[in-house]
Amino acid sequence: MDIGFLGQYVVNGLMLGMMYSLVAVGFTLFFGVLDIIKFSHGDVLMVGAFAGLTTFFGLEAIGIESAWIQLVTIVVVSCVLTGILGSMIGKYLVLPLKSAPALNTLLITLMAGTVLRECIRLFFPDGSNPKPFPSLLPSESYSWGNFTLRLDSLMLLIFGTLVIVAISLLINKTKLGLAIRAVAQDGETAKIMGINFTLVVIVTFAIGSGVAAIAGIMNGLYYNEINFDMGLLLGVIGFSAAIVGGLGNIYGAILGGFLFAGLQTFGAVALPFASAYKDVFAFAVIIMIMAWRPTGLIAERTSERV
Amino acid sequence: MSNKIASPSLPISLAVIALGTAFAILFLGAENEYLIGSLLVFVTLAVVASSKFNILNRMYATFAVHEVLMQAAIVVATLLLVAWFYDDHFSLLMITAAMVYAIAAIGLNIQFGYAGVLNFAGAAFLGIGCYTSAVLGQYTNLPSMLILCLGGLVAAVIGTILILPVLRTSGHYAALVTIAFSILFKTFLEVNDVLGGPQGLNVKPTVLFGWNFNTNIEIRDEFEASFYLCYALLALFLLALAFIFTRRLERSWIGLSMDSIRLDETASACYGLNIALWKSVAFTFGNFLIGVAGAMYGQMLGYVAPSNFTFGDSLILVSIVLLGGIGNPWGVITAASIVILLPEKFQIIQEYRFLLYGIVVIFILLYRPKGLLPRQLRNYLPGGMKA
Amino acid sequence: MNRSSDLLLDCQGLTRHFGGLVALDGLDLQVREGEILGLIGPNGSGKTTMFNVVTGIYGAHGGRVEFDGNDLTNATAQQVYRSGIVRTFQRSRMCLELSVFDNIMVGNHRRLNHGLWFNLFKRGAFADQYKKNYAEAHELIEIFDPPLAERLDFPVDTFPMIDRRRIEICRALISHPKLLLLDEPSAGMTHDETMQLMDDILTVRKRLSGLTIIIIEHEMGVIERITDHCVVLNFGRKICEGTFKKVSTDSNVQEAYLGVE
Repeated sequence: MDIGFLGQYVVNGLMLGMMYSLVAVGFTLFFGVLDIIKFSHGDVLMVGAFAGLTTFFGLEAIGIESAWIQLVTIVVVSCVLTGILGSMIGKYLVLPLKSAPALNTLLITLMAGTVLRECIRLFFPDGSNPKPFPSLLPSESYSWGNFTLRLDSLMLLIFGTLVIVAISLLINKTKLGLAIRAVAQDGETAKIMGINFTLVVIVTFAIGSGVAAIAGIMNGLYYNEINFDMGLLLGVIGFSAAIVGGLGNIYGAILGGFLFAGLQTFGAVALPFASAYKDVFAFAVIIMIMAWRPTGLIAERTSERV
Repeated sequence: MSNKIASPSLPISLAVIALGTAFAILFLGAENEYLIGSLLVFVTLAVVASSKFNILNRMYATFAVHEVLMQAAIVVATLLLVAWFYDDHFSLLMITAAMVYAIAAIGLNIQFGYAGVLNFAGAAFLGIGCYTSAVLGQYTNLPSMLILCLGGLVAAVIGTILILPVLRTSGHYAALVTIAFSILFKTFLEVNDVLGGPQGLNVKPTVLFGWNFNTNIEIRDEFEASFYLCYALLALFLLALAFIFTRRLERSWIGLSMDSIRLDETASACYGLNIALWKSVAFTFGNFLIGVAGAMYGQMLGYVAPSNFTFGDSLILVSIVLLGGIGNPWGVITAASIVILLPEKFQIIQEYRFLLYGIVVIFILLYRPKGLLPRQLRNYLPGGMKA
Repeated sequence: MNRSSDLLLDCQGLTRHFGGLVALDGLDLQVREGEILGLIGPNGSGKTTMFNVVTGIYGAHGGRVEFDGNDLTNATAQQVYRSGIVRTFQRSRMCLELSVFDNIMVGNHRRLNHGLWFNLFKRGAFADQYKKNYAEAHELIEIFDPPLAERLDFPVDTFPMIDRRRIEICRALISHPKLLLLDEPSAGMTHDETMQLMDDILTVRKRLSGLTIIIIEHEMGVIERITDHCVVLNFGRKICEGTFKKVSTDSNVQEAYLGVE
């Protein structure tokens, strides 16, 4: 196989891995503070992308044409909106079911995701068809033989890395992060120590959802298209990534995200006669990993008291 | 498990069943959207009013005493319903589809209602049943009834691939395994050519004692019944078998072991319960029932395509169990009827049905987490018999 | 002193650690047939861990467990139960939404026929087995509390703590075990309720001749009242052994409890 061609796959894989990791980080944050899976996460991401698109139309309408201002506004607006959306799901759907079986939380958030998805499909103008997403990043590209590196891909990768670094600094170095980690370790004790449990949970949901919005916009910018059901597969993949890495561990989520992208890319490269099977391959490997390491690659701390 | 004291009353319970049947006939026969809308308003009011008079608990109490009679009454009611619409293709198709989904949901109920094994790939196993009957119908001359069994068997066997990861993982991790399988299965069907790709395959109709189910029933020139009549009767028969099976399972030491494992694995292990065994048994039985339902569904529809077996369809199956009341087969049957019939009949909401499912399930989870018909305590012996 | 003849449970050098924490550190513990052994010690001294290792919830990292002449080292929880050891849990672990009878039958697992054919198709024979066991459960729980026996068909979550403890102990005893491990049965109950429960246990024990009991308990009144023999643990090791009178005056024990240097 040609080296340049391979390089193309690598860049594409890294791009996918970055998006998956951003989604997986959200899953792992929610699991950390509440031990729950918020399955509407993928659809919150999709709402983020559509919020970005709407912001773009709004900016165009009032005559702001500068790509950079547009970009920054889009990111800020959609992060804030999805942050609010995520924390509302947390407050009104997830927290009330705190003492119910885990299945109920999983289902209620799955259904919340369905509601979001259907709302966009039914009520966004022409929502059932794919929407073109504006290319706001510079479109230069550099070529070395067969290998073409698009400047926008490079910028997205750098931006994604910065977001991940920022999140891990936030969790590990700030007072808020300390509160989040305290709640993740032991919610009851954290409460006794004067941490506002509900607030920490809601803020965590807002942060995780905001990160999902960034992944959604990256997805739009990279593929120049968004779709009402883009969140379903991205959500499932993000969930797989978080689980394979080991829930509750940010580095596990990142590892899982890149692993999944790697599997898909490998599937596409190594099965040239059947590259359509790349998702089948990736999910099959995920199932096998689950059989081998039932609590993920970076194992979750388990402490059942008997 | 509700245990309000209520006195049994056979007349009231039979009247409720009769009214329910009459309502179903009116509802399925109604052509006009306004009529359907007002019927829905009426039934909502009726349900609210009956809860005032503790009717539901009285029905539960009646079931506990006159179980066989009540079950017979419901079978007769269903037969009446089917007979009423004997020449109406659409209504019979709807009734049959609801029964097929009820069979599949009963299978799912064994898995997570009893043993607590999450399965978010219900639609995939339904699809395995469908595809099995398509392939076997095309390449072999096996009798239809055998194909139905084989549909279940193939689903159960393919399910065993997942048993190891499902057993080793728990909670969210286990959920992932079946979710991944659900997506893997649909993608696989879409991209391979042998099974027809996105277009799917044709399925041969059911043939029983030389009678092809896809021919209308004609007696001279005076009487003609829809060919769906046969499918409706077959579905009722299979549903009755599935119901008896799951009831006996629940009312046995095995059902008790499954409940105990669902509620507390550690304590169960300390009392000698073989957790892996009973989880595998529940998973396999469940997949078998789902597979049989799928095989029959395929033969009735005459074709099978991957788009019928998405992750969203698996979620609908899960919602049916949850809406009806986890662990209660009567609840599951009721919920399957609501979930299948309502959007088909009420065309205005057809477009909005996923949205409405979503909202309804959210409300159920928040305000009635045990479902419409909560499961009752186990009666080991059929109604009335006491130890 | 030669006790090996009537030894029921014999643990030698039992060791278990969690990461860097040594929960059991070479514990030797012998229980003779028919005795009631009190297992005491400060919080975190390894009492419940000892139960968990013996019952197969945790594996042992060292040492041997011998029960009734059989080697049970690192046996699974299922094997331990089948050999005749049952337990209760510190935080009563019942299936709250199931009936009292259902909960007791969970404990009767080894005496019930779990064959598929029997359960699904031989419903007549099943009904007979059901009726026999129902009568047996009724009889057992009547010893504890006659009114409770009339409410076998009620869900457990409708009962107060003392009744749940009684049900839990019935669940443990229904299968006629040889050894009963009671993990802090007084937790969540008043002093009077605890004493009442202890009377019940002693009554039942008289009926089931030869039942051996190990009890973990913080209420010394209970230990003094019912045990023949006590073992005191601290940091996963045995620091004292003997009658309650002896151990309660032992200086090592007082040190362990009061932290006197």
